[in-house]
Amino acid sequence: MLSRRHPSFRFALLIACLISLPHNALAECDGADEECVPIGKWDLQVGLGVGMRSNPVIGRSNIPLVVVPKISYYGKRFFLDNLELGFALHENQFSSIAIVATPGYDSVFFARFDPQNLFVAGSGSAASAIAPSAQPTVTPDDLLKRKRRLSYLAGPEWNFNYGPVAGQLALLKEFTGRHDGTEVRAAIAGELLKKARGTMTASIGATWKSAAIVNYYYGDPTYYRASSALNPFAKLAYTQRLNSKWKLNGFYHFELLDDAIANSPIIEANVINTFFVGVFYSF
Amino acid sequence: MAAATSCASSVSIAASEASATQTPIQFDVRPRVCTLSGKETQCETPIRAAWRSTKKESLCLVVANRPEVKRCWENFNKGTYSIDMVFSDDLLIELRDTQLQTVLTSQAIKVIREALEYRRKRRQPWNILY
Repeated sequence: MLSRRHPSFRFALLIACLISLPHNALAECDGADEECVPIGKWDLQVGLGVGMRSNPVIGRSNIPLVVVPKISYYGKRFFLDNLELGFALHENQFSSIAIVATPGYDSVFFARFDPQNLFVAGSGSAASAIAPSAQPTVTPDDLLKRKRRLSYLAGPEWNFNYGPVAGQLALLKEFTGRHDGTEVRAAIAGELLKKARGTMTASIGATWKSAAIVNYYYGDPTYYRASSALNPFAKLAYTQRLNSKWKLNGFYHFELLDDAIANSPIIEANVINTFFVGVFYSF
Repeated sequence: MAAATSCASSVSIAASEASATQTPIQFDVRPRVCTLSGKETQCETPIRAAWRSTKKESLCLVVANRPEVKRCWENFNKGTYSIDMVFSDDLLIELRDTQLQTVLTSQAIKVIREALEYRRKRRQPWNILY
């Protein structure tokens, strides 16, 4: 029998506590609150505007953002948010803990029709470099031609909000058999300006990727071996509700690539710039 | 805040049986129900009322608690009336005598609110579109 001091017992106790915590977000939400969504209803929005995500990969075109669909569905605990799935273990007015499944975002730079280039989502890529191998047998062209597949990661995610500040921390492990990498996503956002219909938000954050992820997308076992990477980013966004169906949205997102990625022979820029200005229609 | 409203189409309503025994007037109101969904708080919809009688009548159409709505007919055996209305609770439409003392017949437009539960939306500042 497990002792109460045994680490396994403590871990099991923690999980049990999380799952049994009251799911009291329901009672605190009503239809008048913009932060609340109806359970069991699909939400479909389509954005139309002008935007672009720069592509740091050599010879690859920037990614246009013209039509941006957004789709979500919230059950009592289950949720679908564009390409992400989740199950809430605990929710209250200030924080939520969920198990999420989410795509890895590096594939967007290699496949023009990657689903994530349709459902625009996360911050791009990241890795600190280990020096290239002395005897390259693979050229940058070979590296570019190699197929990189979409991968999915899963793990716990903690979201919190307190007044105008919101934060997010996700610990993710790849489970689709591509590279077996791990990723940590962290960000915090604050409202700089809030008027009756308009809100300006600033965000900062970072993405840490294990060497396995970085090497799958940007490295090669014999030509360029990278270590893990940390990409910081900053974003400024403005949203204004025009009426019950339309809202104006604009943002600029700046991401700095870690040297482990920037030094890859297939990378020609150490930053990723993304911007979009347009309107969203809610069906 | 007035929200856009989806109103269910209605079927023609005959005056209630109780009223029918007292008056030969047939009274139809459309729509019969208005369903509020999501964050909608009010019905905004055109209303069409039509009455018909086997004999000539002098009567007025009024809406309960809405004194600004009134339409009268003198010695007619039928009439129709349309008006755009905004309302958040059941609306009672009546046909009364010209002195407005007696209710000849009435119909209600029911307001139905979808029994929705809400939960907090996931806030994700890491997401580029947050």
